[in-house]
Amino acid sequence: MTTRKAIVTVFAGVVLAAVPAVAQQVGTATAVNPTSESTPPGGSTVALTVGAKVVHKERIHTTPSGSVQLLFLDKSTLSIAPNTNLLIDEFIYDPNSDSGHMLANLTQGAMRYVGGKLSHQGEVTFSTADANIGIRGGTVTIIHGPNGTEVINHFGTITISNGGGTIVVTRPGFVVTITNWNTPPGQPVRVTAAEIEHYIKYLSSKFGQNGGIAGLNNIQLAECGTPTTKACPEPPWLPTDTGENDAFQVIIQSTQHATGTSPPPPPPSGPPCGHDC
Amino acid sequence: MQVKNRRAIRSRLAGALAPIALLAFSEISASAQTASDYAQNLNPLFQGVLTRPGNLSNTLQYAVGASQAGDIESAISTYEQLLFYNPKLSRTRFDLGVLYYELGSYDMARGYLQTALEMHDVTPELEQKTNDLLALIDKKLQPDQFTGFVQTGVRYQSNASLGPGSQTALASGQNFNSAFFARPDWNWFGTFGLNYVHDFETQTGETFEASFLGYDAQQFTLHQFDAGLMEVRAGPRFALSPGDVNGVTIKPYVVATGGLLADAPYYDGIGGGLTLHGHAGDISLDPYAEIVQQSFRNSTLYPLASGLSGTLSTLGLQAFEPLRSGLSWQGRVVYAHANDQFAFDSYDSYAADIWLPWNVSLGGTGRPWTIIPTAGVTRWIYGAPDPGIDPVTTARTTEWRVGLGLEIPIWEKFILATLVQYRDDASNVAAFSMRDLSVTAGPTFRF
Repeated sequence: MTTRKAIVTVFAGVVLAAVPAVAQQVGTATAVNPTSESTPPGGSTVALTVGAKVVHKERIHTTPSGSVQLLFLDKSTLSIAPNTNLLIDEFIYDPNSDSGHMLANLTQGAMRYVGGKLSHQGEVTFSTADANIGIRGGTVTIIHGPNGTEVINHFGTITISNGGGTIVVTRPGFVVTITNWNTPPGQPVRVTAAEIEHYIKYLSSKFGQNGGIAGLNNIQLAECGTPTTKACPEPPWLPTDTGENDAFQVIIQSTQHATGTSPPPPPPSGPPCGHDC
Repeated sequence: MQVKNRRAIRSRLAGALAPIALLAFSEISASAQTASDYAQNLNPLFQGVLTRPGNLSNTLQYAVGASQAGDIESAISTYEQLLFYNPKLSRTRFDLGVLYYELGSYDMARGYLQTALEMHDVTPELEQKTNDLLALIDKKLQPDQFTGFVQTGVRYQSNASLGPGSQTALASGQNFNSAFFARPDWNWFGTFGLNYVHDFETQTGETFEASFLGYDAQQFTLHQFDAGLMEVRAGPRFALSPGDVNGVTIKPYVVATGGLLADAPYYDGIGGGLTLHGHAGDISLDPYAEIVQQSFRNSTLYPLASGLSGTLSTLGLQAFEPLRSGLSWQGRVVYAHANDQFAFDSYDSYAADIWLPWNVSLGGTGRPWTIIPTAGVTRWIYGAPDPGIDPVTTARTTEWRVGLGLEIPIWEKFILATLVQYRDDASNVAAFSMRDLSVTAGPTFRF
């Protein structure tokens, strides 16, 4: 029995070792602006198109006008900005147990990761030349260039480690700058509105581009604020009668308490006025 | 005869509340059914996005379905995919703003909303919604956040003393103090509420919070009921699970209160409490426990007030849930125990209140009016018979209250607020029974 198990295990290992080389799909390019290219492991560089399968160990490259969105099997996405180089080092995902892990290497440029099943397990790591960025949650924008790496947390817990130390960012809207591998990551500071707006525009199509799909001229479905959808976020209605109700309770209590007391007697009548009145 | 009338009133109250309760219940069950249905349909839709991302119908259905099922990140991913296909659609940017807001990522929400306003296709209605949400977000992103209201106005009460009718006899045989008979009166009042939050901007999310409540009313005739009060609560808030936007937070706080009656100091109190804030689905929950040492002062009009001095302990739960666009409910249940100087002043009380603020659009681009049906009940059980009122009967009183508020927008943050409220206290001690109809109206500034 033990021998049979060992044979099966070895055989399975051999098969599994061979399978990734046969271009196992880990995701799909859901939006592509030219020119964006991909290089599968052992293959030649080709122009990326919408619907193209993304595989393990695939390298993605965008030109100054190119941008891409990748959708992975665990429902996470990567939006990749122009002038970016990214390698999907590893993507292992078991949909039955929602387990696995993802490793990707950003060698240049900017990307936004919106989390899925793997990041909810804390099993997603991006690396740059300056740091390893572990994601639990989580949604994050990472920018890497010659001056270092910037990590903007949008949601979740981000652990940034390098040769200089480790820092954990738990609040959305905070950015950490890492200048190089040997310098400790900087303290988290609030990201500016201008920087956020810049990367929102940078990590999507430019005006005139359509991500490879034409014909989306309007959206009829609304996220909120219609009779058939949920309420748009609004502050809880604040009652203004709290003071009135508290005062009423004071008066009820005082009245009940004073009900049985006779009114104070009138002041005693003094002697008839004389000349001094 | 009186009992029959009360039963009739209660029956009418129950009749009035039933449709409200039914509406709330149907909203909740409809929403739960939708989420479940969406969750079941999500996987085929996701497979469709994965294999045919250009199938816009499928992709749109997946975006909305993911959001309805509570998978906000998948909804964000899909709306960002749609933004790649057409970056000029203000609606997509607005929806992304809403989704990032729900995620607690206010900076991203603001970014998408700001860019939505730059799009040429933004409609006046969407512009209004976007600006409303931006105002909310701007407040949340400030290290020092202020919210509240200031209101002034006039009030008519059919029973300003909130006391029994003049025909009521005291079982104790003592004379009834005629100053506290039920009589109508008008008053002028002013009130404010201020909530302050200071965000220390740490990664663990500590804040300092303070709330102030002030109220003063001057009667036109019955000045023995001129009432003023002030309440302050302040303390730090800590996240029990830092990084989780919807995680539970805890706040220990101190409370100080004080009040005037007939323009003379009447009571003051000091104490402390502990409150939590958390969520159960879309319902926001704030349970709390509070203990306040109260001290009442005797005066010519209220010569026995000091007997009310003692400890007031309160356990409560406040809840809020948006039901659908423009409609939400808020509720509160409270248990209080007053341990006063004399057993006949001590009591246990059980209270429940509900508010259903409902924004009603009157068409056009004007701001909606808000209708607020309210209802509540309190049961008081006293500790012993009051020898001055009824030496053999321990008072047990039930108060029913219903109201209807209407808030009419005037200009910017100014509204005209009106409230009609009816109270009916039924007690086994006749002197504790009373009814009151109050009508309040006045300009209000909300911020």
